[in-house]
Amino acid sequence: MTRGKLVFKNLTRKKSRFLFTIMGISVGIASLVTLLSLGTGLEAEVKKQSQALGAELVVTPKGWCAYEQISVLTGETLPEAIPNADVEKVAAIKGITAIPYLVQRTAIKNQPVTVVGILPKPMKQFKNWEIDRGDYRLDQESAVVGSSIAQQFELKTGDKVTIRGTEFKIQGILKEMGNRDDLVIYLDLATAQKLYGVGDKVSFIAVKVDDVTQMDRYSQEIQERANVAVVSDKQLIRSVLAIMGTVRNTLQMIAAVAVLAAAFGIINTMLTAIHERKREIGILQALGAKRRTIFSLFLYESALYGLLGGVLGLAAGFALSFFAAPYIEQSEFTAFLGSAQSVKMFSPAVVGQTMLFAVVVACLAGIYPALKASRLSPVEAISYE
Amino acid sequence: MSEMIIRAEKLTKIYENGYSTVALQDVDLEIPRGSLSCIMGPSGHGKSTLLHLIGGLDRPTSGQVFLGNLDLTAIDANQLAEVRCRRIGFVFQFFNLLPVLTVLENVEIALMLAGTPPRGQREWAEELLDLVGLEDKLQARPNQLSGGQRQRVAIARSLANDPDILLMDEPSGNLDTKSERELLENIEKVNQRGKTVVIVTHSPTVAAVAHRIYYIQDGRLQKVAQNR
Repeated sequence: MTRGKLVFKNLTRKKSRFLFTIMGISVGIASLVTLLSLGTGLEAEVKKQSQALGAELVVTPKGWCAYEQISVLTGETLPEAIPNADVEKVAAIKGITAIPYLVQRTAIKNQPVTVVGILPKPMKQFKNWEIDRGDYRLDQESAVVGSSIAQQFELKTGDKVTIRGTEFKIQGILKEMGNRDDLVIYLDLATAQKLYGVGDKVSFIAVKVDDVTQMDRYSQEIQERANVAVVSDKQLIRSVLAIMGTVRNTLQMIAAVAVLAAAFGIINTMLTAIHERKREIGILQALGAKRRTIFSLFLYESALYGLLGGVLGLAAGFALSFFAAPYIEQSEFTAFLGSAQSVKMFSPAVVGQTMLFAVVVACLAGIYPALKASRLSPVEAISYE
Repeated sequence: MSEMIIRAEKLTKIYENGYSTVALQDVDLEIPRGSLSCIMGPSGHGKSTLLHLIGGLDRPTSGQVFLGNLDLTAIDANQLAEVRCRRIGFVFQFFNLLPVLTVLENVEIALMLAGTPPRGQREWAEELLDLVGLEDKLQARPNQLSGGQRQRVAIARSLANDPDILLMDEPSGNLDTKSERELLENIEKVNQRGKTVVIVTHSPTVAAVAHRIYYIQDGRLQKVAQNR
């Protein structure tokens, strides 16, 4: 006979109660794991999208907040606020390449799709795009689409898409890039500006510099010449991650509350068990069990609830995050969460943190019942009927 | 004069449950080492309370209990648990076996609490169960046994840590005549091995095998009778 064996036998003697208590903690842990694993790949994903943008500096209208900065990376619709005059001023600066973006939206088969107005030639060079099918030609009647869009809507070269009542022929389909460029319909900038009625304005300008050590100087010069704001790619990542982090932490706190609620379930289960096994506690005391022995036996039971609930919750959480990720609605907040790449399965950090949390919470929940059991009077306990 | 293994001096126990109930008052008692003694008296007159006090399961309101030279009223709860573990074996009327454990495990658990490693536990527990004639019931659960068999498991368990003294509270209270006879055989066997046995009982059959009988009435020790 060992303490472990005794604990396990006591734990599993009331099977349904054991299962429901385990399920309580598993559900809490599963929700925590889902949110933790969805967030784990977030930083890498944000950096990847930033890299895909290919710019060291992003020129934005003055007064843009962090939420709008996120949209530079996620492809959400952006207000058009930089006039062509400013674009030209920025482009005229020696040592930089300026690529203007006009980011808008349309719908194909009732699904929202990002439309980006670009300068075709500089953009192709800037992004190193390659054409998979058709030609790279953008004009008043032609568009080029990303590979995922083509796949999703079964578009072929020569097909027509209607954007704001105007038909465009799909002239070319880009080779898969593995980033958000695959999810966009590209139009010629002037055509897009006319189509969306934004005059000569663009949403932002991506800037590539020849000498990265001179970033501050370029940034200053851009702001001196044009009425715009400049952020570096690193600042962009930082502010995006800060916002994502806040959202993620809030969600994780909600999940942690679910685990805490389960902890009260453990307290309840353990108190019931102590009430039912009062006489058995008395027997153990008559046999010479010390207070700390009784305390540890009941604490181990609680810890085991945490351990088993943690393991089950981990498995359920990983499964849930894997299957749920593609269904998360796209928005500024969840755009990065919604891709399978953002889910890092079986991250040791997530496993470690979650198991530790589950066991610590279960142990804390077990302290009061265990203390109560250990403080029973032997004669009172053994005489209990 | 034989050595006294248990000595109680002016032992008083008053229960306070909103009002005071005097369970035991000024009891002086001596039990010789190696004896087989009975405590008799009407129900509710303090027999079990006396047994609990001399077994260190409860503490007196006043007075002292000595186990050999050790004053049980002067030691803390952990030391008292240690005494119960190594020097005293208990047998109760309702057997008090742990229902989730097998017969073998019910004996092993007493050894586990004393720190005996699992292998040693098994060998010794099997030997004890053999002694009480339950070698073929090792893997049975308590609810698969008769009352007499359960009481034999309880005796085997009480002997697990080779205690000096065995305290039995109405051990035949739930047994039929045949099982009671078997129980007495086991008790005498244990006593002949040098263990001091103290039995709280109403049964004249049990009292008949005792060397000494202590009569308790209204919480006081009325008389001590020598059987042999």
